[in-house]
Amino acid sequence: MIRIQLAKALRSLAFLNTEKKKRAAELIIANKELVFQNDEKEKRAAELVIANKKLVVQNEEKEQKAAELIIANNELAFQNVEKEKRAAELVIANKKLVVQNEEKEQKAAELIIANKELAFQNEEKEKRAAELVIANKELAFQSDLKEKRATELIIANKELAFQNEEKEKRAAELVIANRELAFQSDLKEKRATELIIANKELESFTYISSHDLQEPLRKIQIFSARLIDDESQNLSEKGKSYVLGMSDASNRMQSLIRDLLGYSRTTTSEGKYVITNINTVIELVKKDFTETIAEKNATIKVVGVCDVQVIPFQFHQLIQNIIGNALKFSKPDLSPIIMVKSEIVKNTDVISDKQLSAQEYCHITITDNGIGFEPQFKDHIFELFKRLHDKDKIPGTGIGLAIVKKIVENHNGFITATSEINKGASFDIYIPSTLPL
Amino acid sequence: MKNIFLADDDADDREFFIDALKEVSIPTDIMLSNNGLELMKNLEILIQHPPPHVIFLDLNMPFKDGFQCLQEIRNTPKLKDIPVVIFSTSASDIFVDQTYEQGANYYIQKPTSFRLLVKSIEKVLTLEMWPSPRPQRENYILSIT
Repeated sequence: MIRIQLAKALRSLAFLNTEKKKRAAELIIANKELVFQNDEKEKRAAELVIANKKLVVQNEEKEQKAAELIIANNELAFQNVEKEKRAAELVIANKKLVVQNEEKEQKAAELIIANKELAFQNEEKEKRAAELVIANKELAFQSDLKEKRATELIIANKELAFQNEEKEKRAAELVIANRELAFQSDLKEKRATELIIANKELESFTYISSHDLQEPLRKIQIFSARLIDDESQNLSEKGKSYVLGMSDASNRMQSLIRDLLGYSRTTTSEGKYVITNINTVIELVKKDFTETIAEKNATIKVVGVCDVQVIPFQFHQLIQNIIGNALKFSKPDLSPIIMVKSEIVKNTDVISDKQLSAQEYCHITITDNGIGFEPQFKDHIFELFKRLHDKDKIPGTGIGLAIVKKIVENHNGFITATSEINKGASFDIYIPSTLPL
Repeated sequence: MKNIFLADDDADDREFFIDALKEVSIPTDIMLSNNGLELMKNLEILIQHPPPHVIFLDLNMPFKDGFQCLQEIRNTPKLKDIPVVIFSTSASDIFVDQTYEQGANYYIQKPTSFRLLVKSIEKVLTLEMWPSPRPQRENYILSIT
């Protein structure tokens, strides 16, 4: 038994031994491990010491930061309160906005409708725009043309500006000339007024001579004629010659009044111009003088022909007075031969110192073989009351040729006379063949 | 017997006229008026009786002149057909034209001799003026030679 027990205890010890051996080995390994770990931890500790130092620094920094954060925090807390207040206000504002929002939604709905309308209009406008684009191109083309034209116009403008200046200069000159003319015009108006007054006086003179002067004259004529006719047996020869002298004088006065009236009528009356054949007028005048022509055995020759625009009664008077003179101033022993020649002449063929207003003239020459007159009187014979003969020998009032000249001038023509004593007289009449335009 | 009227303010002319009538071969009865007013009164009185054969009418007269008389005569139904011969010193175109327009039958410029006066009156009395139409304008002035 103690053996068994010893054996048992030996085995157990052996086992324990082995175990302890195993354990020792393990411990060795573990020891080694620990040594290694120890080394590691020492390294780590060293590192930690370093790290610790860093942390201490960091800690200090964080403490500073914390202090700052506390300050910042306080600030934020204040701001927070403010923001809460603001939030409360915003809640109120929000409610208002909700209402406004609703309104805006309504408005938006309306706007949507309006928008659609606008969209439609937009389309229309786009179409129009497209058209405008085309039109624009056209305009652009035209614009080019216009630019060219504008360039031309600029040049033309400069030219005009230059001309304008010239004209302004001229205008200034004209203003001066105008003032001069205005002054002259005033003078002429005064003169014209005076002439109108003088003319009226002449008209009343014409009336007086046509009526009031003739009335007493006619009485003288009638009474003197009745003295001769009814009372001649009661008159001596001397008495009769006095009455006859009175009668002659009153007849001459009647001729004077009649001729003066005729003269004033050619000045004042306005006649109508008619195209007239010269030769038909001459035929009429021949009829007027039928008796005288027969009595004096006169010949009137007509050569050529003219058609002229004249006032017929005046033209008749003109020819009548000249042919009448040719018959009156004939030589007692010679039958009168009167030649009337007429032809159309160009103004370039007319020899005259007068201004010729017409292109063509009817040139009428009336020539006789009568007693003629001295050349020095060729202009005077046309003056009013001018007589070259004693009225006892050849009666006359000295008005006939004054009327002739007046009529010719009324027709824008002119008349000249040429003669030598006892060699007949010749009258050249020039009348425009057509009226001035 | 031809019944004629003369209206003239000139006494000499009225006397010449009466003297001339004595030498006219046609028997006449004359009613004289010294101016236009008298003439129109005389015509009024005679309106019931046969109208005058002709009225010789001077133009330049006081109170009522020949133009006024002529116009009244031509505008009065009972008088309008009476022949009127203007008898004036003047032969002014204006007078001649106006009286022709107013409807006078003839125009005589008072002659400058007694002999011509007699011939003028005789000529008028032989003219058929009523009821024959008035002459053309160119024959309106009666000239006696």
